[in-house]
Amino acid sequence: MESCRMNASAGVFAVSCTREQSTGAMALQREQQLNRFLAEVERRALRIAEISVRNRDEALDLVQDAMIKLARNYAERPEGEWAPLFYRILQNGVRDWHRRQKVRNRVMVWFGRGTTDDDDYDVAANAPDPAGRTPEAELQTSEAMQRLEVSVHELPNRQREAFMLRTFEGLDVAGTAAAMGCSEGSVKTHYSRAVHTLRDKLGDHWQ
Amino acid sequence: MKDPGKQFEEQAKELFDESVEGLDAATLSRLNQGRHKALEEMRRPGVVPWGRWAPAAGVLAVAVVAAIVMRLPAGVDAIDDPVTASDFEMLLEAESLEMLEDLEFYSLLDAVDAETNGHVG
Repeated sequence: MESCRMNASAGVFAVSCTREQSTGAMALQREQQLNRFLAEVERRALRIAEISVRNRDEALDLVQDAMIKLARNYAERPEGEWAPLFYRILQNGVRDWHRRQKVRNRVMVWFGRGTTDDDDYDVAANAPDPAGRTPEAELQTSEAMQRLEVSVHELPNRQREAFMLRTFEGLDVAGTAAAMGCSEGSVKTHYSRAVHTLRDKLGDHWQ
Repeated sequence: MKDPGKQFEEQAKELFDESVEGLDAATLSRLNQGRHKALEEMRRPGVVPWGRWAPAAGVLAVAVVAAIVMRLPAGVDAIDDPVTASDFEMLLEAESLEMLEDLEFYSLLDAVDAETNGHVG
């Protein structure tokens, strides 16, 4: 009788251990998947955030916050949902950043210490250096990117979001709508307006 | 012939991708660190971000707003572009507490003192 009890408890222990091992393996697998996803998306996300806030350090902070929030709150969600979720978190972060900047500037102005927005951001100094090109080609590419970056930054917020998520990140309409928290129809409208505005601004001989 | 709209999008995407490829090593390193920090957070379930600072943030927000309201010069009913209580709440919300580390913010508080003393005196 006693040996039966011991066998039974050993069995429970073994099942419990197997379950824990299995859960641990699943968690590790999940972590690896998330690591791959973040590694794949982080550089584009940084440039998207940087174009929005025109400050690399702030953009790095925003991307890191978005990564942490995704890992903390949504790691268990299906992998296919991560991209729209990640960009939704990032876009919310960018919007909050703009709101805080606005309030901060109002506070500064109220106290007589007004700042001049973000106009002192040097696009050229922060532009990445394209590698493996002649100096002329580098310059041409760099200038074209600077013009594009400034023009995208100057778009209304929603148009900018739609354009960057669709063109730069390559999200489809449904994914962009999920990331922006709006309907697919709105995404199409914002996107179409953004492309028209950019083409008008940059001209036919832009590149 | 290619649709000009499509051509524009492809050019924009190409330029953007090149700028992504051209990110410097220091930036990539910071991204890498950020990713690992996020993965560490994933291993620590149930951690409420800034949770322990929330009560302090609330008290601080109320104190700052009260101090400013009480120190306004007598007879001032309205000011141009007033800074509202919600502005301060936003600035002092839990995730903005790092702002308190800015010396700029402390100098701003000093400026309030100097300005209100100046008005009263």
